Formats: sequence, C-alpha cells, structure tokens
Amino acid sequence: MQLHPFVRAAAAACAVLLAAGCAGGSSAGPTGSTIKIGIDLPLSGTDATVGQSTLNGAVLAVEQANAKGLPGGFKIELDQLDDTVQGVHNPQQGVTNARTFISDPNVLVMLGPYNSNVGKAEIPVTNAAGLTQISPATTADSLTLGADAAALRRANPVNSFFRTCTTDSRQGSAGATFAQHLGWKTAYIVDDNETYGLDLSSVFAADFQKAGGKIIAQDHLAANTQDFKSLLLKIAAAKPEMLYYGGVTSTGGGLMRQQMFDTGLGSMPFMGGDGIVDLATVAGKAADGTYFTVAAPNAEKLPSAQTFVKDYVARFHEPVGPYSANAFVAAQVAIAAILSAAAENKGALPTRAAVLAKVAATDMPSAVGRVRFDSAGDIRNPVISLYGFKNGKEAFIKQISLPN
Amino acid sequence: MHAFLDQLANGIALGGIYALIALGYTMVYGIVELINFAHGDVYTLGSFFALAILSALGVSGELHGVALVVDITIAVVGAALLCGIVGVLIERLAYRRLRGAPRLAPLITAIGVSFVLENVMMIWKGPAPVSFPEVMPNPAFVLGPLTVSLKQLLVVGLALALMAALHTFVKTTALGRAMRATAQDRDAAQLMGIDINLTIALTFLIGSALAGAAGFVSGVYYGSTWFFNGFGAGLKAFTAAVLGGIGNIAGAMLGGFIIGIVEAFSTWLVGGQWSNVAVFAILIVVLVFKPSGLLGQAVTDKV
Repeated sequence: MQLHPFVRAAAAACAVLLAAGCAGGSSAGPTGSTIKIGIDLPLSGTDATVGQSTLNGAVLAVEQANAKGLPGGFKIELDQLDDTVQGVHNPQQGVTNARTFISDPNVLVMLGPYNSNVGKAEIPVTNAAGLTQISPATTADSLTLGADAAALRRANPVNSFFRTCTTDSRQGSAGATFAQHLGWKTAYIVDDNETYGLDLSSVFAADFQKAGGKIIAQDHLAANTQDFKSLLLKIAAAKPEMLYYGGVTSTGGGLMRQQMFDTGLGSMPFMGGDGIVDLATVAGKAADGTYFTVAAPNAEKLPSAQTFVKDYVARFHEPVGPYSANAFVAAQVAIAAILSAAAENKGALPTRAAVLAKVAATDMPSAVGRVRFDSAGDIRNPVISLYGFKNGKEAFIKQISLPN
Repeated sequence: MHAFLDQLANGIALGGIYALIALGYTMVYGIVELINFAHGDVYTLGSFFALAILSALGVSGELHGVALVVDITIAVVGAALLCGIVGVLIERLAYRRLRGAPRLAPLITAIGVSFVLENVMMIWKGPAPVSFPEVMPNPAFVLGPLTVSLKQLLVVGLALALMAALHTFVKTTALGRAMRATAQDRDAAQLMGIDINLTIALTFLIGSALAGAAGFVSGVYYGSTWFFNGFGAGLKAFTAAVLGGIGNIAGAMLGGFIIGIVEAFSTWLVGGQWSNVAVFAILIVVLVFKPSGLLGQAVTDKV
C-alpha cells in the first residue's frame, strides 16, 4: 500500500502523540531513549555574555557525554530556555520556563538559573514538582539557608535545589577579607534592593566590621533611574576609603561606576561581587579600579580544570567564562545521577525522585575539585576568586579556599 | 551648605532634562488631549540618533574650540530634527485615525508605540547601556560655596534657551497662534481656515524635537544611554507636566525643575530607594488635590 507522504507524516505524528499520552498517564516513569536536561539562563539582554558562557559549560558536558556513548543507548539533550524579558533577567519568565520543563516528562534535571531572584521564584515550583534543580551561579544565601529557604521548600520536605557555586556570605566574607588586606578601613555600601545585592552587602558589612572596619552608611538604588549623581555626591561628602556595591551591572552598577568620575570619586576603590563581572561592557575604561569576587574557582588557574579549559577553548573559540566550569560540573553531576539511577532501574528511564536521591548523594571528582553537597544543597569547601579590572579587561588577582 | 548647593545644582540639571521632555507631553496634551506615552522613548531615540551622528562625524574623544561647537551643534540639531520627523510619523501612522475615537484607544495605542520604539532601539544598539563619547571637557566653576560643571550649565542653558524660543514661537508667530487656536477649540479653528492636520503635525514635530535635544544632552551629561531610559524618564517628565499643569508650557518647565530637585533631595536626605516614591507621590497628590496643576487652568473634563 502506498500512502501519500503527508498521510504518512500525519500517521507518524499521531503515533508520537499517543506514545506521549501513554508516558504521561503511566506511573512507570517516562519512556524513550532521550533524556532531557533543562537549562534556564539569561541568554539575551544585559546578562547575555555571562549567560552564554555559562550555557557553553553545560553544552560541553552534554556533548562530551554523548560523544562517549551512554550505557543503555540513551542520548542526552540539553533543552535551553531564556529568562530575559526586556533586556533583564525576569523571575516570572524563570517560573514559566521551570513549568515548561516540569510538564515535559523526559526532563529529569533542570540546570540554572543564573540570578538569585529568578532562583527564589523557581525553587518553590521545582520543589513542589520534585524536579532536581542545580544552579551553577545563584549565590544568594536565602536560597538554601535559614527561614527564607525553608519557606521556599514548604511544598515538599525533600530538598531538590543544589548549587555548584557557593553563597554570598562566602563571597561577602572574601570581599571583606580582601578589603582589609588592601588597608581600607572605612566603607560606604550601596545595594540595588534585590535578593542578591542585599544578601551580599549585609554579609560584607558584618564581616568588614568584625575585622575592625567601619561602615559609614548603606544606601539603596532606585529602579529605572539614570541619575546616580545625587547619591554619589552624598557619598563623596561622607569620604569613605572604598565603595562596596551589592548588586549587578544591569541594575545600576555600571552607570553608577561611570558617573563616579563626574562626581570626583573616580579614584575611589569600587568593589562588588560576581554581579559586576561584566562591568566593563557598560562602564568601559571607567571599570578600571574596581574589584570583584567570584563564587567559583578560576578554572584557568586550577590544575584539575586544565582539560576542561582546553576543551572549552577548542569548542567555543573564546576564553572560559566565570561560571562556565560550574555549569560544566553541574551538568556532569546531573548526567552521572541520571545514568546511575537508570542503571538501578534496569536500564529504563528513572523517575525524578530517583535522580534527586542520586544528586543529593553526589561525591565525585570534577574540574573544580571534589563535589559533595551538604544537607542544604550547598557545595562543601568552596573556592572564591578575586578579580580586578585593568584597561577595561578583567584580571585575576588570587583565589582562596574557604573552610567548610 | 556645600552638599546642599551641590545637590541643588545636580537637581536643576536633572530637572532641565525632565523639563525638555515634559514640554512635549504638555504640548501634545494641550492640542489633542492625548497623553503620548511614547514620548519618553522618543527622548531615548534622540540620544541614539545623537550617538549615531557623533560616530558618523568620527567623534570618539574630547573636542575643543570650533570643532566642539560645530560637532555639538550638528548633533543637537540632527537628533532634534530626526526625532521631530519620527514624532510626525508616529502621529500620522498611529494617532491621526484615532482622533475621533474614545479616549482610551489612542492612549493604548501610545503604549503600543512605546513598546515598538523600545524594541527597535534594543535591536539597534543591544540591550545593555551604551557608552557616549566624552565629547566635551567638563571643567568645574567655583563661585564661593557653589560648584557647577560645564555640562550642568549646558543642560540648563539649552533647556532655558529652547523653552524661551518655544514660548516666543507660540506667542508671536502665525503658526503659534494657529496652535493656540487649535488647542482652544479645534472645530472653530478649522472653520477659521486653520489647517488642523498641519498644526497637529507641527506640534508633534516641535515636541519630539525637544525630546531629541534632551536625549542628546542626557547622553553627554551621563556619558551613556540605554534603550529603556525613556520609561523612567518619561514617567517622571509626565509627572512634571501634570505638576506644572498639563497643557501649560511654562508649567511643564517649572514642574520639570521641581521634579529634578525633589529627586536629588530625596536621594540625599531620605535615601536612593525613596526617590521614585517621592516623585510619584507628588503625581498622586497633585491629581487628588489640584488636578489642574500649579499653573494650569481648572478644567473639569480632562484626564
């Protein structure tokens, strides 16, 4: 019997729909030989540069796993979604993306997001659905620690959120230590009133004071403003030795740094967290004289990451981004957990619950050192790196490994 | 005293930019009773045009003497002219057909035009803030306790000069008289032989050109521009227009300076995160207690 090509295609589509319907209805877990890993990052807009280099890390891990050939004939597919709306990462869009992953039974792990406020919105959703989420870059304490984190997990007592980066309290501490090393005794703090910025600046303030420094005042930026000169004039009058910024480039960090030169603060040291890694894209040469911490090791300086760095550069023809190695490791953790859960499930696709248990029990060597998660989902023995800007380019200064 | 005067100077400079934008809101409202929410984006577009003109002129660093004056003039006039044309096109394409429609239709259309402009600019220059070349030196002038920079003088000077020119135009020329007549009673003006379409197009041309000039000035003053700037600045300029009395040219100018000063002082005295609250609280207070604004006439059926 000869069928018209269109009829054949339609029949095939019906079969696929039926199969998908079965998969959704049965309790035996998803079927089919494609495993999906969802990844949600800001891939356009102001955060596009760091978002893309983070995505590349995960892409590399998935490509390497597929090239090696997976037991059981599985193939891993990385399903990427962008959480940017009108140029800025958006929590609501992040939740929409998380729901998209949850509704696809073949998605067993979700990677991302990049930004803490997006994470804060996504965690209750993935937690309720029992979908494992591993973030390579969200560093806010409130995502894993304290009463805030407990509230995010109200729907499901089993923690399902992990991160391969460390927390802002560690980043803020490292920043305070660094400031002390450089001999700055008085600081003025400005934050952008977002989850990330507030956490980072409050920990910096606490540790800076603990070490004998003095916080002159703390101020918050208004959203959607172009003028930072009023605030900077106020800071200039207070005469601090340094300005610490808790926030990201897109919420005002870049423009504020640029306007410091018009208000006589050009030579004042300006320091922040990993939110200003891309400061030079906005502030250009004005980025010189700024320092920032990154809640991840500098892969290029780590002996264990040399293979990763070589493979990354060969594949993408660009230097490794600040969170690329973390995303690479996050994807490797996800793949290892899925395969090990599949092996226990006699080679069939495992359930999300089984994968979650495997991720929580992770203990493996990786490009960024040994990966183990504590009960809150944070990585043990984190490494933090310090960078500065020179001629509009970021320059590595040093990295410190923190005790657990 | 030092801090007070510094903040005052900064507030006035900021207010000069708001005032230039507010003029466009107020003129358009005065003549077609439309709150043109796309106006803030025309302002941003002005800074983008200025940037394009400067790079076409090959300006990348500081200019001096004749070159400074010539290049800045070309950039201001060019940005204003291009924005004026965009304003006329917006009126022709998006608003003219809705002139007799219920008030809500053109208002929603204006928001739609705003989205279109924002997204066009995002595609043009990308979603991140764009640096403006440092075209002019910025020496500070010290007069006793008062310190003002050349850029601040440029902002305020240009704002005052353009407002004076606009005022003279509206009060003394035949076209200005036509604009005032159309604003007062469109039908009667038409019966007197005034070309309504031309007059309204002219209003959009002038209002948008002023926003274009403001866009250039803000780029020079802040050293950067961003496709989304017009959203915040537009709302604040709209507040300024309402505060001064919407439809009133001198009121828009006064409102702009007041809003700029309030923003600077609330940042200084209360804290940066409260500056938007202070500005928009003014909007609410004015709308509730004196909807006609500081200099406007009491009219019952507006807004």
